[in-house]
Amino acid sequence: MRTNKVVPYLFLLPALAILALGLMVPLYNAVLLSFYDWNFGQPWSAARPLGFANFERLWNDPVVWRSVRTTFVFGFWVVTLEMLIGVSMALLLEKAVRGATFFRTIFVMPLMIAPVVVGLIWRYLLDARNGIVNFYLLQIGEAVPVLQNFGFKAHTWLGDPTLAMVSIIVSDVWQWTPFVFMIVLAGLQGLPGDVMEAAYIDGASWWRMTWHIKLPMLRNILLIALLMRVIDVFRALEVIFVMTGGGPGSSTRVLSLTLFQTAFTSRDLGYASTIALLLSVILIVFSLVLLLFSNPLKDKADF
Amino acid sequence: MLRRFTAFSLTLALLAGIAFGQADPWRQFAGTTIVVSWPAQYHFEVAAQFVDQFTAETGIEVELDVVEYLNMRDRQIVEISKPGRGDLDVVTWVVFWKSEYVANNWLMPLAPFLIDPRVTSPDYDIDDIVPAFLTTCCKVGGVKGYLDGPGASLFGIPFSPETSILMYRTDIFEEYGLEVPTTYDEMLETAEFITENVPDVYGMTTRGSAGHQVVHAWLLHLSPFGGTVLNDDFTPAVTSPEAIAATYALQSILENSPPGMAAAGAGEQDAAFLQGDSAMYLDRSILAAQAADPSRSRVVGNVGYALHPEQEQCGAETGGFAMGIPRNSQNQGAAWLFVQWFTSKRIDLELAKAGANPTRTSTHADPELQAMFPWYETVVEQLPCATADWRPLIPEWGAINAPILGDEISAALTGQKSIEDALDSAAQRIYELLDRSGYYSW
Repeated sequence: MRTNKVVPYLFLLPALAILALGLMVPLYNAVLLSFYDWNFGQPWSAARPLGFANFERLWNDPVVWRSVRTTFVFGFWVVTLEMLIGVSMALLLEKAVRGATFFRTIFVMPLMIAPVVVGLIWRYLLDARNGIVNFYLLQIGEAVPVLQNFGFKAHTWLGDPTLAMVSIIVSDVWQWTPFVFMIVLAGLQGLPGDVMEAAYIDGASWWRMTWHIKLPMLRNILLIALLMRVIDVFRALEVIFVMTGGGPGSSTRVLSLTLFQTAFTSRDLGYASTIALLLSVILIVFSLVLLLFSNPLKDKADF
Repeated sequence: MLRRFTAFSLTLALLAGIAFGQADPWRQFAGTTIVVSWPAQYHFEVAAQFVDQFTAETGIEVELDVVEYLNMRDRQIVEISKPGRGDLDVVTWVVFWKSEYVANNWLMPLAPFLIDPRVTSPDYDIDDIVPAFLTTCCKVGGVKGYLDGPGASLFGIPFSPETSILMYRTDIFEEYGLEVPTTYDEMLETAEFITENVPDVYGMTTRGSAGHQVVHAWLLHLSPFGGTVLNDDFTPAVTSPEAIAATYALQSILENSPPGMAAAGAGEQDAAFLQGDSAMYLDRSILAAQAADPSRSRVVGNVGYALHPEQEQCGAETGGFAMGIPRNSQNQGAAWLFVQWFTSKRIDLELAKAGANPTRTSTHADPELQAMFPWYETVVEQLPCATADWRPLIPEWGAINAPILGDEISAALTGQKSIEDALDSAAQRIYELLDRSGYYSW
């Protein structure tokens, strides 16, 4: 029976090795670096140990805390909207409506576009002088002058702090709602048909079936979608980088952008690692709280 | 294998030189391939058309590595900071990266090449390169550490240098009987008049997006108002009355520019003038060539040129690019021939005729060119005012420029803070940064 004890670990070994190489080594380096003053491009011998100075600086750095707040504002709207729209769309397109395949394909297309290209597309769409969004807003506003009071006029989308935030939220919702849609759709199609049939025969309305049967049964899938979106939001960088560069001022500078700028514009790798640790801690706390509500991995045994 | 081959052909070339006495020194590195890092800019597009001629005359093959200019630095640092062999043989930097590159010991000084008669032509005449450009882009170690003076060394040659001049629409100015402004007060007044009275045309155009772009716009006005970023003792000077006045001027310019300029980079700023939406352009002199190019401009024939307006003093930009040789390049001789060839009198003149930006005083003064390009006269007149100390070119400038000033000034211009609060906050952040870097520890 000795083999039984060893073999499982043997099979685990490759996974553990990859995990150690891909996760533990970078994490160890990040922790180590956060105690040093070391500039990108310098040899390691030029690094100066700083003790906890980087952490003290982080604690007192209004720039970092402001971008944490910006990230939360951005993340709250993005995740809320994506979950609401994504789940609704999945429920609507679940049944074989005429043209469902066509719509499903169309909805998934934004996911296939590289983030940098998404940023450029939105930047050109929202350009204040030549953008197509302002063009149509102006046309409609001129055709129906009353509507001008309701925003149908030219806006400086990316040059105004609030509108810039709205713009990056819209672009992210546009790109990532399909992701929620796909996961939820797959979940819906995996629901046991007999339960649905029973509910239908009992005369449950569409609304009741959705609210009391489908969504509760999808609970774990919804949580996974939510968790993945939360994690992605904290890593969002390219689209914002291209669209606003964090501006105007620092109104759209999310934490990942501050991290990028500290590491590669200011070349301050030590402090950037400290910020990266903060980002990781925020993410871990978020994930744990979400998993406390329901752990999809644990529940799996009951299926 | 390739390197052995290169060494072999080098030896062969050398032997041939000895055997026949007078070999063409331009061909001494024939067969070498060099990798050149260039920005995606108009000047370099023009220069790229000359690369074949360079290869034909020297036998040196050139591989161009072209990147958007603000992204060049990250790419270059990865290569030139490598301990051993680096893959770039010629790097092109924006002037304000020079101190950072030199402080990290990434660039070759040019003295070993300039003093070696085998690799430097006696006709090179370095004295003919516009002095303010040479100082700004390439001298390190003199006054304040980043200017010319005793102790300064040369690390590169300006290539696509630029200053700032005022360009204006002659047709609009004529139609409305406007005077060409010589001071900021006049310019801002004229800009307001045009925005209010000329249909579909705004008075000016500007860059404004958070980060490097808005800081560039701000620096354009800082020097004429008599302000600086740092005092002589490196303490921040951005809360001075001069700096505050310059920021208000920028705000007024932004208000009289087409909508959206608060998110605009250089490209959008330029497009507004080239498309005829703005009546005045106060920035890089090098836009003049594009404004005269019918394939890029709708205002050909309607552009006038004037000096950068003054306020407290005359002051114009010194900026643009320079080329030099990374320390870890394995083909430094060939790289130097490349830099030398492209900045030589003959090619500088030919490049200028093709629409690129000249490096040399003699090219600026060339009568044929002055007749071809009416703005040359204005540029020549502007150059004595071009401020070599236009921005503090210390190694920390990269960390001050976009992350601190670019954040605060943009916040002020978009109404998130008052101008005074933004500059106070910038001063405090600059002080903390330079304090950490050891500027105040003596």
